[in-house]
Order: sequence, then structure tokens, then C-alpha cells
Amino acid sequence: MDMNDPLRREEKKESSPDRHDSGPSSPEPSRPGRDDLLKRMKKVDPKQTEKYKQRTGQ
Amino acid sequence: MSVPLLGLETEYGIIREDLENSDPVEESMKLLKACERKSVFCKWAYSKENSHLDMRGFRVASLAQDEEEDAFCAEDRKRPYSYLDMKCDRVLTNGARFYNDHTHPEYSTPECRSVLSLVAHDVAGERIVAECVAIRNRELEGNSLQVFKNNTDYSGHSYGTHDNYLIPREIPFENVVSGLAPFLVTRQLYAGAGKVGSENPGAGNFQGLQLAQRSDFIETLLSIETMTKRPLINTRDEPHAVSNRYRRLHLILGDANMSAYATALKVGTTLLVFNLIASEDKLAGLELVDPVADVLKVSLDKATVLQRKTGGTITALEIQEAYLEAAEKAFAGKDLEWNWILKEWKRTLDELRHSPEKLSDRIDWAIKEKLFTEFMQSEGMGWEDPWLKSLDLEYHNLDPDRGLYRGLQQEGAVYSLLNEKEIVRAVELPPEGTRAQIRGQAVAQDAENIKSIHWTGVEFANGEILDLTGVICPEEVEIFLNSREQLV
Repeated sequence: MDMNDPLRREEKKESSPDRHDSGPSSPEPSRPGRDDLLKRMKKVDPKQTEKYKQRTGQ
Repeated sequence: MSVPLLGLETEYGIIREDLENSDPVEESMKLLKACERKSVFCKWAYSKENSHLDMRGFRVASLAQDEEEDAFCAEDRKRPYSYLDMKCDRVLTNGARFYNDHTHPEYSTPECRSVLSLVAHDVAGERIVAECVAIRNRELEGNSLQVFKNNTDYSGHSYGTHDNYLIPREIPFENVVSGLAPFLVTRQLYAGAGKVGSENPGAGNFQGLQLAQRSDFIETLLSIETMTKRPLINTRDEPHAVSNRYRRLHLILGDANMSAYATALKVGTTLLVFNLIASEDKLAGLELVDPVADVLKVSLDKATVLQRKTGGTITALEIQEAYLEAAEKAFAGKDLEWNWILKEWKRTLDELRHSPEKLSDRIDWAIKEKLFTEFMQSEGMGWEDPWLKSLDLEYHNLDPDRGLYRGLQQEGAVYSLLNEKEIVRAVELPPEGTRAQIRGQAVAQDAENIKSIHWTGVEFANGEILDLTGVICPEEVEIFLNSREQLV
């Protein structure tokens, strides 16, 4: 399978200057999408976990 | 290669938000029934299950659960459904098992040969579960059914994500325990999914983000149990393979990671440690005086100091660095995927030591720490605010329009380990060179004629049986497939 070939990933990383030495790049706090995510977080019901009852699993 | 097959099982949380009392039995059954993917339905061969045999050489009469769950099960028996009705087992064309386990929809990946293949199949599971949720919500004419890839309801009910490794039986079990325990105690440094608060009375009035969701629930070193007195190392002896050749290590302490990178690191490093144990490389001085208590201790404070059996102290990071050093010496340059695991393991530990903020695009607890810290600053609140627990839960929501991890993915703010083609392939197709390939092909080509199905085989209505018990390595898969071709 394609995904099983880490060498391919190495090649991909080396073709990307961002990843060459520093690894996966970190999120950019000032990116525009941050505002959308903040809006998404504000929509979360603060009491959601009180209603979220589950049964014990394994 | 000491670990020929790997697998992951994930129990999902499920809730109907439009109902006062959401019934997980009903909702999980309806979710499984909504699945439109080609599959074999309700034909799992439970007669081949044997979960009561212990690695330590004895059999237990029954497995335990707490009083609350006993009461729930007594009520379940009054429902107008058989055991098989409630299980709703499906086996899919990719070789996976998708069913209900203890009222949670569970996706068990097919057996995989490589870490990246396994991660693709775990993510494929998320995709298939989310697809069923969408179908159910269309039936419900709303968006009231929500499903979460996490491990807790924040009220003391935990459900599992189990990583499985088939290893040679000849490795003494006591070597596995002594070699693995310090590693498992500290693996949460990068494998922990993060949890706001604690459900363990021993944590006192902990306010904040701990490393892992399951660390509150580990109560003993060794046990066959999974629903109570959960162990660091589960002793269930059920290899689903030739039992005198293999044992299956069934690790129940892990978290459900949203980050595929974290899943890869969790499984990849564990695989390398099994290989270290198999090679009898000695990891002197790492055994801990109280590994069970240390699980929670590390989760609450990753810099905490642990007591070594040989005397003196050591930190979780130092333990991981010792394992990494041994693995680098033993395995560097021996396998392309192992090289990737070693490189990313080293990168992660280096960043934990020198610049932990860099982990906030790929390690779940670090992603949460950054995200929730920003939110607390913007809203002027602290970790004690109950809103944080709700945000923590919502991080794990599979809904693309609600889930916080899904939002980060849509922004490109978290690292993508897999591309779309790899995920789509894993949704449809089994991992090549495994017995899952034979199982998946049987489902794809002859589902309607399958009488019963299991990890270890397929029985057809005409009496033909595909016995996969001994079909473990790629060579054995090839021999099996060649012999089938000759018969045709």
C-alpha cells in the first residue's frame, strides 16, 4: 500500500522546506480560521458534559 | 519481526441530544443498522470467542463489572432483543469488525502488518462511523445523534481504545511485563489524548488538563478484567491465532487519539519496545516501585519524579529517552517504517524537553492545552470552569461542523499524516498480505453465502470453511491464496 512506504514520506518532507529540519509546522495563531474556531467553541453548551451520560465500557 | 500483526479497537461514545434520557442500547443498535456498506450482518461466530483464559495459566469463571452495570444488564435482559440483535455485528469489505460492545459502537480495525496501515484503518473507522451518524441524522431529520471518539463521560464511566499486538508465545510473559511496564506508564507523554479535570478520587481537587483520559482508571498491574480493576497490562489470553505459537497483547490503558500522528507514535513505539523485549536487550534500572500509581501521577504532572526499584528516582521523560536510546541502537537502519518511528519518537521527546509548545499541532493533549488556554484567555476563565470539560468532549466529536479537532483539521492547523487517497482505500479495502485480505475478499465477493465469520475464519453456507487460525505472516497468506486458486 502507498501509505506503508515511509521512504515516500521522507521524500515528500525533503521536498518541503518547512518540514526539512523542523518537522511538522506549528499552527499559526493569527491565521483567519482561528476566529471561526473560536466561534465554534463559543457555541458549545457549557453544560454539555452534564447531559453526556455513558455506560461503562471496556 | 516479532510483531506480525497489529490492531486497534475503539469504543465510541454515543448520545441523542433531543431526548431527556438517551438510550445507548437503542441508539447503538440503530446506528449499526443504518450502515449501508456491504457487509456480513449478525453472523459473528461467538462460539470461537474465549475471553476467560488468563496469560498466567488459569481460567476465570466470569468477568466482572460494577454494580451499576450489573443493574443495567439486568434491565437489558428484559428488552425484546436477543444478544446477537443487540450486538449487530458487521464485518466489512476491508476486513474490519463494526459492532456494539457494552452499549458502545465499536470499530475494530482489520489486522495490519504496518503502523501506517493500521493508522489509516483507524481513521477509516472514524469515517465509517461518521457516515452512519449522518444517515441516522437524516432519518431523524435533524442533527441530534452525536458520536465521540474519546474514553470518558467525565462522571466516572470509561470506555476503551485497545491496541493489540500479536507476539511470539516463546517470549516469557514475565519478560513482557517487566520490559513493558515502565514504557506504558510513560507512553502517555505523547499518546495521551488529554483530559480536563480528573475522575479519580486520588487526584484530589485537580484542576487542569491531565495527559491522558484513561489514566484515572488504571487500578492494578495485571488483570484479565477490562470493565473494573483495569490493569496496566491485560492478561486475557485470547490470541485469535495458533495458541502455542502466539499470544496477543491486549493493552487497554491507551486513549482514543484524534491525531493520527499520535496514534502512529503510540503504536509504533510500542511495537519497537516489543521487539526490544524479544531481542532480550536489557533495559536496566527502569523498573518502578509503584507503576500503577505512577500512571496517574505522570498524567497529572509530566515532570513528576518516580521511584526506581533499583533505588533513586527518574522522570517519565528520562524513561522514554532510555527506551528510545535502546531502540535506536538495536533497530536504526533496519526497516524504513522503524526509521520513521525512531525519528519522530526522538523529535517528540526532544521537543518535550526543550520546546513543548511545538507539539501543539500533532499531540492531542498539547493541541488541547494550546486551544483551551487561548479560549480561557479570551473568555477570562480558568480550568475550574465546567465549560472546559464540554469543550474537551467536543474536541472528540466526529461531526465535521461541530468537532473541535475537525475544525482544526479544516483550518490546516494540525498535522495530516495521511492523505485522502490512503483513507478512502482503507475504508474500502483490507490491508494486503494479511488474513484480513482473505476475510475482506470473502465479504466483498460472497457475503450472502457466509454462514458465520470470525477473526480466525469464514464458514460458508455450503459447508466450506476458510480456516485462518494459522494464516498470520505474508508468506502464509500467499500460500493460502495459492492453494485456493489451485482448488478453483
